[in-house]
Amino acid sequence: MSMLKIDNLHVRVGAKEILRGITLAVNAGEVHAIMGPNGAGKSTLGNVLAGREGYEVTQGSVVYNGKNLLDLEPEQRAAAGVFLAFQYPVEIPGVNNTYFLRAALNAQRKARGEPELDSMQFLKMVREKLRVLHISDDLMNRAVNAGFSGGEKKRNEIFQMALLEPKLAILDETDSGLDIDALRMVADGVNAMRDPQRAFIVITHYQRLLDYIVPDYVHVMVDGRIVESGDRSLALKLEEHGYAWIAERKLAGAA
Amino acid sequence: MSAVPRDVEAWRYSARAWQALQAQGFVEANSPVELPASLLEHFDWPETRDHRLVFVNGEPAEARHAGAEFRLHDGERLHLVFVNVPHDRATRWQHEFDVVLDKGSAEIVEQHIGSDGVDVLGEPYSRVRVGAGAQLRMTTLSNLPDSVSLYRREQVAVAAGATYFSTHALFGGRLQRFDLDVELAGEQASYAAHGMFAPRGRQHIDVHLDATHAARDTRSAISWHGVADQRGRGILHGAITVAAGADGADAQLQTKNLLLSPHAEIDAQPVLEIYADEVKAAHGATVGQLDERALFYLRSRGVPLAMARNLLIAGFCREAFAGVVGAELQARLESALAARLPQVTEIPQ
Repeated sequence: MSMLKIDNLHVRVGAKEILRGITLAVNAGEVHAIMGPNGAGKSTLGNVLAGREGYEVTQGSVVYNGKNLLDLEPEQRAAAGVFLAFQYPVEIPGVNNTYFLRAALNAQRKARGEPELDSMQFLKMVREKLRVLHISDDLMNRAVNAGFSGGEKKRNEIFQMALLEPKLAILDETDSGLDIDALRMVADGVNAMRDPQRAFIVITHYQRLLDYIVPDYVHVMVDGRIVESGDRSLALKLEEHGYAWIAERKLAGAA
Repeated sequence: MSAVPRDVEAWRYSARAWQALQAQGFVEANSPVELPASLLEHFDWPETRDHRLVFVNGEPAEARHAGAEFRLHDGERLHLVFVNVPHDRATRWQHEFDVVLDKGSAEIVEQHIGSDGVDVLGEPYSRVRVGAGAQLRMTTLSNLPDSVSLYRREQVAVAAGATYFSTHALFGGRLQRFDLDVELAGEQASYAAHGMFAPRGRQHIDVHLDATHAARDTRSAISWHGVADQRGRGILHGAITVAAGADGADAQLQTKNLLLSPHAEIDAQPVLEIYADEVKAAHGATVGQLDERALFYLRSRGVPLAMARNLLIAGFCREAFAGVVGAELQARLESALAARLPQVTEIPQ
């Protein structure tokens, strides 16, 4: 059974249909890359999976570990193991990063019936993860993302992912705006977490990230549909020919 | 009996609440009352025991200070506690005092608390003088039960090169009115104010901050955060006047407000009046709701909705405590804030 099964998903924002029949199955242990031009609906897919409001599902279904994912509140999805690394992480002044993450982790653990971590146990875990990711701990003493540089925000997303240990991690253009060092750090963070029990959906505009996070599958999304799926070589072809190539092939196929 | 306040404009949003309050038929508090032991925990802080003065309904609780004037020395700290204790009928009290700091730096914590019961109306009035080059840091925490009202007036004169820092946290009460007038009287005098209020239930909190730049090269920076829930009502009137001749003044006034319920209301009125040249002045006021993106961000990490709301509200208010020096005092303000947030109930999964 697939961990995640998206079937003929149609999603509207206001009067505009953004996703127009997405079908995708993701198994534990797999890394799926979703590529596509701007406006294809990639981020919408990530947001819908994480439970953001403002999206209307008009058709189709999303089943996650046997449950209807769309019925769950965002915090219930998180407790069930879904994690979205935001394209634009939100700044939250006045809320300390450590406090926030401990509240989040303990709320998740509580919801799963696991014992909550006291502050000593939590800090021990934080130190381990910071060390593995080569992140300095001053990040932890600041307000959530407040005044962080673009790179620091993305690092914080990966750090949160490492700490919360999700089963299904969705990375929404985590590579955008990163220099090569930050990109490597993000990729190392993801690769360190690759596990037979865990799946990743890596949304990206560029193939560059996929040099570092090697996907098992690559899907190309255009106009709210997956128009082409393949292995890693598909990303390389896209890099060579651009998205116009896909559009042409689509037209040729339709003719 | 207090008459309806005469300055109609300054009482525009609160005249009715004031009149309704007066219908309680307040009498002067003239018989002494016991300080209820249950209130002790609210102000008996180990770190301030050696410099604390307590007033019960305006009267000193300990004989050692009559309480008309506090002349502060360099490095001195003072914790003033005004306790409102109900009688068998509605009572009001008045208390006037002066604070003088000639030189050096000093710190005052002024606290207003009370126990619930028959209405009490407190009317403290203070005059503060900060001498040339001196620095006075004032933190006020008023945390009142619903039957206590407070009409507090404070007038501050800041001399040349002196600084007046203040932080105000206002919670609860039936009606709280706070008039703070600061005059930057000497060259390079400066004034920085951070503050917040959080009216909920039917609480009504009206704050008037008036800063007057009366000399050259003076600075003022006022930042106020408001959060209103349920039928709570908050008013922030911030007025900065730069008098003729006060050239080179720098005046900043910002207020950010959150409405948590469709019945809550906050009126934010920034006013700048400038009669001098070469003045730097800016003001801004926002009234909005909790940021949906931030709420989703917290929830997507597993934080339940009610807790996510409280984290955001507390974080928003906490920005007002940025100028507070000392971890203990900071923690006191934080816990007062936490106790005033909607209680997070466990959500069964």
